[in-house]
Amino acid sequence: MHSADDALPLSHREAGLPTPLVGMLLFIASEVMFFGGLFATYFNARAIHVGEWRPPSSAPELEILPIALPITIVLLASSFTMQFGVWAIRRGDQRAMRNWTLLTLVLGVAFLLGQVYDYTQLGFGISDGAFGTVFYTLTGFHGAHVFGGAVGLTILVARARQGQFSRQNHVAVEAISIYWHFVDVVWIALFSTLYFLR
Amino acid sequence: MNDTAFGYLLLAIGIGSVLSIVYAVTSHIGSPTTRPRPPRGVHLPNPSALPVIMAAGGALLGIGLAFRADDQPVANPFFAVPGLIVFLYAIVAWVRAAGREWDETERGSHDDSPGH
Repeated sequence: MHSADDALPLSHREAGLPTPLVGMLLFIASEVMFFGGLFATYFNARAIHVGEWRPPSSAPELEILPIALPITIVLLASSFTMQFGVWAIRRGDQRAMRNWTLLTLVLGVAFLLGQVYDYTQLGFGISDGAFGTVFYTLTGFHGAHVFGGAVGLTILVARARQGQFSRQNHVAVEAISIYWHFVDVVWIALFSTLYFLR
Repeated sequence: MNDTAFGYLLLAIGIGSVLSIVYAVTSHIGSPTTRPRPPRGVHLPNPSALPVIMAAGGALLGIGLAFRADDQPVANPFFAVPGLIVFLYAIVAWVRAAGREWDETERGSHDDSPGH
């Protein structure tokens, strides 16, 4: 007896990376270019405003405490929990995968709320000079990507509750995890640039 | 609570609401195995000007957001409004075109002969 796959020409059979993973990798490649442009904006504006590259004089200096460092640790921790979820479903442990993904979602939302709270404490806005514009553009776009990741994680949790993932079939988990790690790496670059590269 | 804090509170509520809707919709859709599978064979979308139209609309919208006068708080409406309309039109038209192509493929009106 032949399966449906056997009837297809050789070039149409599943081979190599699953299509969703290839799509996600291509999407991330485009995102690298996008954030590359944003970082170029940052360094260009910084080079133009030599000696005055800081928050407005009415606002306090950017500090990693009490908010920026804790939310960075939260986001870093979420990458670990995401990967624990991937490893769990590779073992076929659906319950552990769902719980790790749910924890990742909670940490991601905690990061977003922390960032929103940070915005209320900064003392400057997006229209307060080039520094304010670049700061909010960079962190805002990153926050939007975290939100996009949170939407993906929510879909994973909802599908996991219905038992849609298994040891053999979990490509969506792999794809979302790659995206989540990417968003995490971008934040490390952003955090280092904004807070350490004075 | 000042206006800024209230605005960010609304944002936080919005995040929670959107995630809740996503969860509810995903749970409602059910397993992908119950969704219709695409017909066998190779299917390419028809030639279309919609990507160019969408890009033009997006560019107009961007111009409207970037080049605004001091008394225009958000955007220059002469560019942003037509840009937004063209952009949204292109999205709707593209989704409808994709739906039509799917239906045509399911009905088998495409050329599915071997060797292409």
